[in-house]
Amino acid sequence: MSAPALSVTDLSVTLALPAGEAHTLLDKVSLDLGKGEVLGLVGESGSGKSLFCRTLVRLLPSPNMRIAGGRIMLGERDLAKASEAEMLSVRGGRIGMIFQNPTSHLDPVMSIGDQLVEGIRYHQGLDARAARKAAIEILRQVGFPKPERQFDAFPHEFSGGMRQRAMIGVALSCNPEILIADEPTTALDVTIQAQILQLLMDIRRERGLSIILITHDLGIVAQTCDRIAVMREGRLVEEGEKRDLLRSPTHPYTKALIGSHPSMPSPSQDEGAAVPAPDPVAAGATPLLEVDDVNVRFAGTGSLFGGSSGAVHAVAGVSLKIMPGETVGIVGESGSGKSTLARAILGLTPIASGNVSFDGTSLRDDPAAFLKRLRHETAMVFQDPYNALNPRLPIGEMLAEVLKVQGRTPHAEIPARVGELLDLVDLGREFAGRRPRSMSGGQCQRAGIARALAVEPRLIIADESTAALDVTIQAQILDLFRVLKRKMNLTLLFIAHDLAIVRNLCDRVVVMHRGRIVEQGASARLFEHPAEAYTQALIRAIPDIDPDKPLLPRAAREVA
Amino acid sequence: MSAGALGTRRMGWRQRLGRQPVLAIGATVLIAFVLAALLAPYIAPYDPIVQNADIRLQGPSWAHPFGTDNFGRDVLSRVIWGARIDLQIAILGVVFPFIIGTLVGTVAGFFGGVVDALFMRLIDVILAFPFLVLVLSIIAILGPGLGSFYIAMALVGWVSYARLIRAQVLVLKNSDYAVAAVSLGFSRWRIMFRHLLPNAIAGSVVFSMSDAVLVLLNGAAISYLGLGVQPPIAEWGIMVAEGQPFITTAWWITLFPGLSIVLLAFGFSLFGDALGDALGVKE
Repeated sequence: MSAPALSVTDLSVTLALPAGEAHTLLDKVSLDLGKGEVLGLVGESGSGKSLFCRTLVRLLPSPNMRIAGGRIMLGERDLAKASEAEMLSVRGGRIGMIFQNPTSHLDPVMSIGDQLVEGIRYHQGLDARAARKAAIEILRQVGFPKPERQFDAFPHEFSGGMRQRAMIGVALSCNPEILIADEPTTALDVTIQAQILQLLMDIRRERGLSIILITHDLGIVAQTCDRIAVMREGRLVEEGEKRDLLRSPTHPYTKALIGSHPSMPSPSQDEGAAVPAPDPVAAGATPLLEVDDVNVRFAGTGSLFGGSSGAVHAVAGVSLKIMPGETVGIVGESGSGKSTLARAILGLTPIASGNVSFDGTSLRDDPAAFLKRLRHETAMVFQDPYNALNPRLPIGEMLAEVLKVQGRTPHAEIPARVGELLDLVDLGREFAGRRPRSMSGGQCQRAGIARALAVEPRLIIADESTAALDVTIQAQILDLFRVLKRKMNLTLLFIAHDLAIVRNLCDRVVVMHRGRIVEQGASARLFEHPAEAYTQALIRAIPDIDPDKPLLPRAAREVA
Repeated sequence: MSAGALGTRRMGWRQRLGRQPVLAIGATVLIAFVLAALLAPYIAPYDPIVQNADIRLQGPSWAHPFGTDNFGRDVLSRVIWGARIDLQIAILGVVFPFIIGTLVGTVAGFFGGVVDALFMRLIDVILAFPFLVLVLSIIAILGPGLGSFYIAMALVGWVSYARLIRAQVLVLKNSDYAVAAVSLGFSRWRIMFRHLLPNAIAGSVVFSMSDAVLVLLNGAAISYLGLGVQPPIAEWGIMVAEGQPFITTAWWITLFPGLSIVLLAFGFSLFGDALGDALGVKE
């Protein structure tokens, strides 16, 4: 390898605690980034991977943090010791950054073009006209179909994927040598993710850019990076060439990380496969849940759409049968109506037409009885574990309240039952007194599942319940669902945008697109032989952890 | 970040106060006034009402640190006794609007639709009048006195609280835990008052502190205009009014009650700020 573009030696960052002691956040991290190399930085939230990258440009998130030691060599310059004035030209100019959420990192009151021009004029010193030309060229490069026209558009006029392209454009406008991409595709749908990753690879090739790609998804790393560095608790635990590291990881944490990747067949799934899934069309069986030609419309806010467009048809004529004990996955990209369908089934969103029946009680015939049964026999698990729990209630009180309202448990037995529920979801009993704020995302999600179980439900609807969690935690929660399903004979409706998760957990999969069911069938069959073009494209866009199963830009283009 | 939070939790309240000077100062000022009010009969050196023509308009001295007024009453004693009335004004003038506004805001935000529209239009109407004009007319109708003042404040002051709470409830009722509560079969009242209100109320609690300042000033103003507390009762607003004719010759009659108003307002304001930080309220 030629001289590295960036060379970090023994970088340590500490946080000064109020009591006077110092807490080490980054512990002697050493890492080289080669010219034109893509380095994948993998780790869970709190592992210090984002902090590491912010330290490189000296944008520490708190004034109490400081660089305690080490060197950050960018060429001949040590950024750890550079003055603030020097850093101004480094940030953007030599090291560009893109982030997970383009919406909050683009200026909402400035047109996309102007945001690019700003960087070009400041860092490259071009005049207004030349800068505009350069900006349009960059917009074209990052995949805007009509750059001249879209130059004057504002961030809110674009979709998430286009905004992410715009943000990449803003980073490129300063013409950096190094691009730091912090979870650039985490907020995007899988097909859009494939497009953005492809774009990053194209830019690397065209501009000879070095890229540090921060992600929690080993699949993405396997597909795009040359080298992988794994971080945990502020330390670099392992680093190596992509194939070597994926094939023969040495550190146990790396092994666990690779093992928990959803594209790996899980051990419990093999067990599950041995037991044939209940046949949904078994003669005589009555479905637990029957969704019949359900439509959900949202009144279009007239002013927003210029009064022209009417209602949004979020769910259009969906019919579905779920047998007792079955695990059904609903997949689709954002806006496909899958969450709306879940809420409609639970009577949380009014339906415009159609019918839902639960174990023989139908919404159309007896709405009151239907709702009453739903509230006592179904429960929901949400996406964002923090937002799903009342921040002011300790977990024990929250569970006790559900038991009290449900009225099945005699008062005297409620504390004991709360303990049992915590045991069921593998939370220690001491969590009864904890509030959500003092718990991790995985622990909160377990508490959310305990709350669902407190209902003693026959059907649980899990809406993206693992989407907000780190990979290893995700695997744990999925395992918990599997165990509970077996123990309690639950029927599970699992909604996710992540196809790999659904594949491992569910007997049957329903694919939704624009409010309609595109395809449904047994999960193994559907993933092996998808019949519809949309499903095929969706499946091919999943980044596989095997680097030799390339991420298909073709799939992405088919959908787009 | 979490390490920082843990550090804070391990500290005793003494250390925490030491780290939050704003809270410490605000709380100290408020506690001092409350103590003065409670212990007025024991710490006030003289009777606040009995007149003594022999010592009219005396300047501050060791016997009368704040001087005496035009009736020969000890200003320090009157300031101390006045704390009872003024604290009462600040507290009662806020408590009733707070309760009414919180209830209305929660119900309006949660139910939305017609209920919400009705309350919001009512609020618009009330806000259309200048605050003091409305308060004065209500007092004029009911007759002068503190009771009328509290009623007027309750009738007019709730709108701010209702709007604050409503805005919060509107956001929170779409949170996942509110949806979860519906899906678990919780009743509307339980969701409103056990799940939404406790999470919505922080901003109003903080606002109530700055509101107490305004109410205190209004109370003093109303008394100054002769519509609130009636002489000879010691109240800072009246004392300022009574001292006004002598402002050039006996400034102490006006200055000390005036300073007390400012200091108490300062205490409420600091305490409110610190409370906002502690509750994580962004204004």
